[in-house]
Amino acid sequence: MADETLKIKEFVIKDVQFGPSYSLSEHKLVIPQITPETIPETFRKVNVTIIHPHHLDVATDSIMDVVPISTKVLGTLGTGVTHTLTGVSMIITGSNENGKQIHDFGSSDGTLSKQMMLNKDGTPDENDFIIMFNVVLKSQVVMDRQMMTTVFSYADDYLQPIREILKKTNGRYADYNHEYSNTVHPGKPKVVVIKQVSGQGTMYDNILFPQEPNGIKGGISIIDLNNFPVLLTPNEYRDGAIHALV
Amino acid sequence: MGVGPSTKETTMHHFKDPLVRVFGNDPDIDFQGVIVVGTPQDNVLKNLVGQRVAKWLKAMRTNGAVLSADGWGNSDVDFMHTMECIGQENISIVGLKFIGKQATFVVTNEYTPFVLDINKSASGTETTVLGENNLDARDAQKALGLLKLKMRADQQKVD
Repeated sequence: MADETLKIKEFVIKDVQFGPSYSLSEHKLVIPQITPETIPETFRKVNVTIIHPHHLDVATDSIMDVVPISTKVLGTLGTGVTHTLTGVSMIITGSNENGKQIHDFGSSDGTLSKQMMLNKDGTPDENDFIIMFNVVLKSQVVMDRQMMTTVFSYADDYLQPIREILKKTNGRYADYNHEYSNTVHPGKPKVVVIKQVSGQGTMYDNILFPQEPNGIKGGISIIDLNNFPVLLTPNEYRDGAIHALV
Repeated sequence: MGVGPSTKETTMHHFKDPLVRVFGNDPDIDFQGVIVVGTPQDNVLKNLVGQRVAKWLKAMRTNGAVLSADGWGNSDVDFMHTMECIGQENISIVGLKFIGKQATFVVTNEYTPFVLDINKSASGTETTVLGENNLDARDAQKALGLLKLKMRADQQKVD
């Protein structure tokens, strides 16, 4: 039987700055600004902002997602080694140029400090840096499923160079190491967790099995699976097998 | 439909999921895994996916399961139907969902009393504050405790 141990190695980021190109060293992450030529036609602009811890009194469009920055180093999903950054995460926010928010039931636009509760499992910690990835669509663009995929894929592509560096970072220098197993307890009641996720269409979608943990690329939409159930081992689930959309 | 910012489960939430953390660390259960199921628009498919979940659990000889939803409103139909399908296979089932004052059930059945409310807001509403009404470790522990009691009451036999 294949080795079912998953090692997640955590690299703590203590500073995030803009620079000419991506780099990662000594707990410091450097990211570039978006070059306007790379923006999809349907976008008016993309603003990347670095938000320092405790400086969250900034305006935000509706928050679509909070994305951890992780990469697969060795093995397949749920096994081997994954590297992840902590102390920093990306939030994807969006609207169109007329201020119409990209959201479903209720928009979280407003002041970031008031619209996002920190220190939850799904949100950054209070001492974290936040990379705010704000997409502004052209006014005539329809906010449909295709559009959402474009927005999320573009944000995912922005993170990929960080993942490439993180992939090559020596695991020996990780700040924390976590090891997980799919432990069985024979003779005890067999229990399953069922996660019912959105898959009605347009923005109600989830991506399964992306190439990178918590990524988009290479993933399969639950809508394309006709919303049919999929079984994941605990370790596969822990290894970032699901990316939420909006 | 009913997925608001305060109950929405972000990618980070799935990565650090409190349900998997709590269920995966309890030596008194044999944690088999996580089933992810969507919420189809079409009624025939809604019925079908719930049944497929139940048959899958049955085939794995599962004794008990917890069903958790990332939304509320029309997806209650999927939620209660899936609970019913699982219950009919004699598998103990409990649910976790945002209810509060705003999201009382669109549909109910005999399994409704075994659904725990994950609301955290004082107003009991969708506050549009990201993460505010998310399921946390305490909710997961409550669900695990209730499931253990339910499995005992249902006299689940462990192979």
